[in-house]
Amino acid sequence: MAPPDDEFNWIQHSLAGDPEAFAALVKQHQKMVLAIAFRMTGSLADAEDLAQETFLRAFRQLNSFRGESKFSTWLCQIAMNLSLNWRARENRRGEIHSQWAENAMSENDSRDQFPDELSRRVQNALNQLQAKQRAAIVLTVYEDRSHAETAKMLNCTEATISWRVFAARQKLKRLLKRISHE
Amino acid sequence: MNKSELDSILKKAQMPQPPEEFWNEFPQQIARQLNRGSDARVAKRVGDAASPLRNWFPRLAWGFATAICILIAFAIGHWRGQMETKTVASVASSDILKNAKFVRETLAMFPNQVRAIVKDEHGLNLVLSEKENVPSSPPLYVRICDGKNCSSFVTFSGQEIQIAGQKLTVLSDAHGGIILAGDKLVWSSDEQTLAKNHLKIEAKNLGSIVM
Repeated sequence: MAPPDDEFNWIQHSLAGDPEAFAALVKQHQKMVLAIAFRMTGSLADAEDLAQETFLRAFRQLNSFRGESKFSTWLCQIAMNLSLNWRARENRRGEIHSQWAENAMSENDSRDQFPDELSRRVQNALNQLQAKQRAAIVLTVYEDRSHAETAKMLNCTEATISWRVFAARQKLKRLLKRISHE
Repeated sequence: MNKSELDSILKKAQMPQPPEEFWNEFPQQIARQLNRGSDARVAKRVGDAASPLRNWFPRLAWGFATAICILIAFAIGHWRGQMETKTVASVASSDILKNAKFVRETLAMFPNQVRAIVKDEHGLNLVLSEKENVPSSPPLYVRICDGKNCSSFVTFSGQEIQIAGQKLTVLSDAHGGIILAGDKLVWSSDEQTLAKNHLKIEAKNLGSIVM
């Protein structure tokens, strides 16, 4: 993690139109953004596209970053909103997505090879959640955000997030039951 | 499976990793894209700054449209006002005593009692006989103007009317001609006799339209 002063300077230089300074910000946060995008899409190729879109949008909207939250939080919100919009855009691919698990074994894209079976099955289970439930799990479990932060990012109430997390956990428990017994 | 077991499983799951060079290449790729777009972006910013009219255009358009609407509304209102004024004027100018329906209904309300319906500067007046002794005959319309002051009346042949400051007897001849006879004037519709030059007299038999 870069010292806050460095990040502040990169932001200031980026605001002045310095792409190299912004590249430093990208380097700092790319793993988080890519991870969010991947958890939301289940595809590394789509995640890379979304990550790129996230950073380009962040650069365009950088003057709207007031510093009221951490830069990472602001970036995370952009990534999540784009991912949710991507879901809406890609709804026509819903069937493809739901069949993702069945086809995962025959996936041609070697880059989407998971390091182990557990990782593949977990992502398969995440893919079967509703997008908003998945977003709640990604932010609260993988990004360690509080329900309050998550609610703010997703522009809904904390109670809504709690319900989504509860419903998502119930479904994940059912989908991942066998793993816990293995 | 409890909550912590589930969280443990979820967190153990790793995502497929892109090649190591991706992490070095990706920030540069973003920077290159920003560089490529910078010319256009700068141009856009300069364009925005140099053309405040573009930002104001929607407001100007709305303002202009509103002004046009107000003008149209004003023009329509003005036109209607004028039309109404003209209508009132035309109604006023068209003497109500020439209105056959009005005359007929008034006569019907007081059968054989109406000696005259007079319209002068005081408004409309009905001159009634105490008894129903006014003989039935075609109503006669007379209008007398002394300069801009006009008086008109509907009466019947043989009736004596006080009008324009003088007493007039109204008579109708067998051919429908009307004669006005007073102390200071004698006027006949046939001869258009002017007793005094400044008086303008108009008379006609309403029999055909009222009866």
